[in-house]
Formats: sequence, structure tokens, C-alpha cells
Amino acid sequence: MNSHIIITLFAMLMLAGCRPYAVETSGLDPLKKSVNATTEIKSKPAAESIFQLADTFQTQDGKPFNLAMLKGKPTVVGMIFTNCTYACSRLTSDIKGIADSLQGQADKVNFLLVSFDSERDHPARLKQFAGEMGLGENWTLLHGSDEAVRSLSVLLNVQYEKSASGNFSHSNMVSVLDKNGVFRFQQEGLFANHTQTISEIKDAIRK
Amino acid sequence: MKYFLTILLLTVFSGLAQAQEKAVIADKKMVTVAAGIYKPFFETNDSRPLMVAAFKMDECAVTNAEFLEFVKANPAWRRSKVNRLFADSNYLKHWESDLSIGKINANIYHSPVVNVSWFAAQAYCKWKNKRLPTIAEWELAGNGKPRNIKYTSLTEYILGWYKKPNPPVLPNVKTTYQNQYGLYDMHGLVWEWTFNFNSFTSKADSRGSTEDEAKAFCAAGSVKVKDKNDYAGFLRFSYRGSLKGNYCIPNLGFRCAKDIP
Amino acid sequence: MKLTVIKSVLALALLASLVAGCDSSATTSTSSVAIDEIKGEETAVLTDAPNVPPPITRKHATKVIVNLDVVEKVMKIADSTEYTFWTFGGSVPGKFIRVREGDLVDFTLKNLPDSKLPHNIDLHAVNGPGGGAEATLVAPGQSARFQFKALNPGLYVYHCATGPVGMHIANGMYGLIMVEPKEGMSKVDKEFYVMQGDFYTKGKYEAPGLQEFDQDKAIQENPDYVLFNGRVRANTGANAMQAKTGENVRLFVGNGGPNLTSSFHVIGEVFDKVYVEGGDLINENVQTTVVPAGGSSIVEMKLQVPGMLNIVDHALYRTFHKGALAQIKVSGDENPEVFNKIKTQK
Repeated sequence: MNSHIIITLFAMLMLAGCRPYAVETSGLDPLKKSVNATTEIKSKPAAESIFQLADTFQTQDGKPFNLAMLKGKPTVVGMIFTNCTYACSRLTSDIKGIADSLQGQADKVNFLLVSFDSERDHPARLKQFAGEMGLGENWTLLHGSDEAVRSLSVLLNVQYEKSASGNFSHSNMVSVLDKNGVFRFQQEGLFANHTQTISEIKDAIRK
Repeated sequence: MKYFLTILLLTVFSGLAQAQEKAVIADKKMVTVAAGIYKPFFETNDSRPLMVAAFKMDECAVTNAEFLEFVKANPAWRRSKVNRLFADSNYLKHWESDLSIGKINANIYHSPVVNVSWFAAQAYCKWKNKRLPTIAEWELAGNGKPRNIKYTSLTEYILGWYKKPNPPVLPNVKTTYQNQYGLYDMHGLVWEWTFNFNSFTSKADSRGSTEDEAKAFCAAGSVKVKDKNDYAGFLRFSYRGSLKGNYCIPNLGFRCAKDIP
Repeated sequence: MKLTVIKSVLALALLASLVAGCDSSATTSTSSVAIDEIKGEETAVLTDAPNVPPPITRKHATKVIVNLDVVEKVMKIADSTEYTFWTFGGSVPGKFIRVREGDLVDFTLKNLPDSKLPHNIDLHAVNGPGGGAEATLVAPGQSARFQFKALNPGLYVYHCATGPVGMHIANGMYGLIMVEPKEGMSKVDKEFYVMQGDFYTKGKYEAPGLQEFDQDKAIQENPDYVLFNGRVRANTGANAMQAKTGENVRLFVGNGGPNLTSSFHVIGEVFDKVYVEGGDLINENVQTTVVPAGGSSIVEMKLQVPGMLNIVDHALYRTFHKGALAQIKVSGDENPEVFNKIKTQK
């Protein structure tokens, strides 16, 4: 049976991580992605705001938070966990890089990190992480219940799984929401080329 | 005399109707699935067998009649009201209307409810003070040995079902087999939602999160399938990998689970 | 040639990026591929075997819209035997797709709501992740859309690549896509679509009733059926392909597998031309050509003599015991100069 070889091969390519292709995962619409020989086209644009997710989270300052509080500014969101030794700080740095590229406009954007790790990433730990990573005032780090985090991951099209060690396997996704919480753009992968992400954010600021 | 008969008949009928209503409202029986070990289908450097604590699970899938109660009590989940973010346009499309399964559908009242999204299934379980089972729980429960049918291997049995097209009318719950835990229809009736269906899937990509994987990050890591002959498991994982949270599909239903305090 | 160079460069870039580690700069390099200007838009004509869509007469690249449905259905695999096939477009092999080199193919794969399983498509003509497979994993009732540039001319297999891949292919999920070269193909009189596949059932060859897929036999690579066009006698007798003497006939030949390599042969004809493995290389005067699983071949022959031509896998037990037979009925006048049976006197 060849399928496991195929899977292994695929997995090898995928885990290689460097991802010369901007691989599409099907996701929330309308996603515009970097163009390659193959481009996935999103068929049904969901004009729905993810602010409708009713769950309450907690910020790094221990304050209750729901997504509707993001209204009024575009939001850049990623999902991470702080015990992660590599990918999550990389993803955080990628988003910081996006913030830097916005120059003077970064304060017109919400930067949001949501932790997979409901058990260990309590607000105090998230605050510490924000300090370590040098994340400024317009960054919000969220702790939530298993259910709230899972629901958000489903909406953001982020896959994750907790392993026996308590760590997480997960996809790395940067999502851009407009001022009303409607998806504008998603870019998957670490060290991704965020040119389009940045132009989408700038567009979202103007609108 | 005539009157008497009519009254008698009415009484009998209303009694029947009440009994039916009661059957619907009565709490669904849950059975205990003993603690066990679940081996993740896709093995990675970091995956080890997971200990699954004992839990309770609905003995069968949630039915149309049961789901109707939920929709009646939660107007936001009516077909005409539901948010597209949480359920696509196929949501409950087999029902006659918002609050009616429909007379022509009388034979599916006790069939598993399908065309329901993950969000809808989540909301239903929450309403019942329950939750959706995790993949580990579902797989552990699904591996329970059938106790009232003849079968050569569970995999063969399951593949036999996968290979048949959907029947025109979905049979009632409890019409396939019961397994060692007392669960009905774990295979052979509908696919079922799980809480963490969007875990790492065959289409998922760069992960690189754990120490081992960080080391392997830009070299060749590999994921391998636990048992390459487990075609039934393979197909279930493909199926889960193709889903999104608002999808409503004609052969996908759910049942709820609960912790044992 | 140019394309080959570009491809090599791309392959090197890809390799380099993998080796160099996390440099994603390769992402942008594809934009340097010289791409014909896309003019207009058309919907692809799709055909079931043994029919082939008409040759492309366009002299420019266009946007070609392809809509393909995944259909799981019970069909006859033999006269009194049924099988649950998984298909691209409702028959086995799947619909024949024909585009031109340089075309932008806008592909929508729809999985019908009644399907039991998710499916996707990997087109070997695609330069991109999984040949489209990653972009098209579709649950029942859903559809997925992606675009690709048909960069390389040739005859390519497409198939479902959802795990377990072998099983999806064994159930009939494959077909052919022809990317015609810019300069077009030489004119012939008739074109046909013939695709081989191996099938594994619980019961023996032609055992009656609905037969199920047999996983063990598939692993053993021991098929009960080896078929052209998805059915025993799909194209024999009254259903034989029709041609006339003097005609030039082109067969687009594919092999879906999942396991067997075909020794493709036509009894009573010589292939004047074979596009080896469906690519640019032309071999002439070939008796039997190899068509690997997941591969193709284009063969051409001028028909000289009337009669029934038998198309076989020359691993002949497959023909005599497993169904690998298709036929071309050649009508027309006898041609004694080429072939003359001498009547012996008693």
C-alpha cells in the first residue's frame, strides 16, 4: 500500500516547513493568497463577523474579553502556546515583523495572540511572555476555556492537537480581520512572505 | 355509545402522543466507556498513546425529534435564524420548516439528526449539560466490540458500510449493532462530529511546535500512520480532515459525552 | 525546451530552498515563468470513454472552466455483477479533459451530497502542491475550486489522492487530461479514450451480485478484474469503437492502476506512432507499449484491413480471465495487398 509512503512524503515536505509553495488550506473566505502555479479560489465568501462568537476570554491582565471588543480597528490574529520552543515565538516574531512594516500605522491595528494551552497559559504567564517577546500595548494575549479556544480555532481554520506531553501540534496561521471582524486574508506558514498580509492590513485601516 | 368510542379513541391517541412526547423529552440514556488507551492515528515524534479517562456517552446518536426540542428552546438555532458562520445553507435542510420535521418525514423522527454543523452539535450538547466527545474518546468507544452481530473483523464491517451509498431514508437509531459498552450504531449509520475534529489532519501542514519537531523543523520530519491496514480509521481521519465547523452534511450527525465526576 | 529549463531552475530553487532551510524566497520565482496572455474564457467539453472531446483549434491561451462532480454509485462491473464505484463524473474512467498548453484551467471539484466520503483530485498535469489535491479535499456536498496553468503538454492521469489513496483509485477514481501542445496535434480521423484499471472484489471474476472491495487482494496486487473503461465488455461487440479502413486512429491510453502496469497491445495492428508515456518522445513501429500505473501513452495507427481489432493487455491472463479486452470494429473493403487469406482447396 503506497498511501502511507505518500503521507510520509507529504508530511516530510510539510514538516520541512520552509514551504516554497504557499500551500492553501481551505479556510474561511474570502482568502486571497500568494499566487503560484496553483491557486485555490474561495467560492463562498462568508461575510460574517467572527465577533459573533460569544465566548469570554481573559487577557494577559486578567480582564474579561470577548472578540467584539476588537471592533473599530483591523485585527491581526495568531494562535500559539508559550511552552512552545520554536514555532510560536517564530510566528509571534513574524507578526511583530508585520507590525514593524506598518511603521506609524501599527497603533491603528489590534494584534491578538490566543493560546491553545488553557491549562498552563494563564494570564500571568501570558503577561510574562508578552514581556519576553517585547509586545507593546496594542497586543492582546488571550487565555480561554478549551471550548472557547477550540471554537475560535475552528473559525480561524487553525488545526491543533494536544499530545501526551501536554504540548501542541498546530498549524501556523496569520489571519487579518477587518474593523468588523470579517475575514480579509490568511497566510499560512512560518517565515511566510507577508507582503500581501501587510497591504491587506493597510487597506483594512483605510476602510 | 358513539361518543364513548370517540372519547375512548381520543384518550388512547392523546395517551400515545404523550408517550411519544415523553420518550422524546426523557433524558437520553448514557453509558460508561471505561478508561483506556488511545493510540493517535497519525504518529509523530511527540505522540504517545493517550490515556483516556472513563466517561459517559449517549447510547445512540441524537435524533431529529430530540434536536427539534433543542431548536424549539433555542430560537437562534432555527433554520431561518441560524448564523452562516455557525451553520451553512444545508442546515436542517431535510426538515419541512423551522419547527417541523414534517409529516412526510414521519419515518425519520427517530433517525439520527444530520445536516447539523459542529457549532450546532456543540450548542446542543451544552444545552444538555454535556459536550461533544473528543477524537480519542470517540475512537476508544468506537473500537468497542460488537456484541449482538456476527462479524469477521470490525474493520471489515465498517468498510462494508463506508462502501454503501447513503440509503434514501436514514434508518432509526439503534438499528445496527450494540457494542461492549452498550453503545449503539458507532459504525454503520452516520458519521459523527467530534470536539476536536480539526486536529492535525492529513491535509494539515507545517507544525513544528514541540522540541523534537523544532529539531526536525527544517530537516525531514515524518509522520506515519499507526496501522496502515486500518483503512476504516484512515477514512474516518480523511473525513474529519475535510470538514469545517459550519458544514452541514447529509450523513453526519453526533452524540454527546460527559465527564464522570 | 525553454519550459524544461525553467522547470529545472524551479526544481533547483525548490531544492535549494529546502536545503538552505527557511528561505521562502522561492515563492516568488514562479512569477518569472513566461506566460501566454489569456484571452477569453470557455467551458471545457468533457466526455466519457471511449469518446474524446474535439481537438483544440484555438491558437491562443484561454481560461478553461472545468466542472467535475464526484459521484459514488453502484454500477455494473460485469453483466451480472455490481460494484460501488467512486467516480469523477459518474463513470469509470472519469471524464476526459482537453486543454491547450498555456491555458489557465479554472477547476471546480464538487462532491455530491449523497457521497459517503470526502475526495480530492491530483492532476498529474499540475505544477503545484499535491497536483491540486491539497486545495480540493471536499466533504460530501461541498466543492473546492483552484486554478492552474497548463505548463507542460502531454497526456496526464488524474486521480483521487484522499487517504487511503489506493482504495480510492481501486474504486475507479481516475481519468485523463490532455494538454495539447501549442502547435496542436497532427490531424487524425478518429480519436478514442481507453483507460485500464485493476479491481479487487470479495467474490471471484463475474461472481453475481453486489461485490465489495477486497483490501487483502489489493495489497497482494491480485486483482479479480483488469478492465478497459471500467466494465467487462465495456467496448466490445455491439459497443466496440467504430472505424473504417484507411482511417488514422489515435488512442489516448491511460492506466489508473492502482497496481498493474499494462503491456498495451492491439492484436492485428502495429502502432505507427507512440507518444512514449504520453510525452513528447515519439517512437515508431511499436508492437506493445508499456503504460505504467498512473501513466499514459498516445498511440496512432492507420487501419489497413477490415475486421475486429482486439485491444489487450498482453500479459494475457488478464485478457482471458480478468476482462482486459476492448475492440475496434473496422469496416471497409478488403485490402488483399496488405493482407490476403489464401483459400486452400480441399
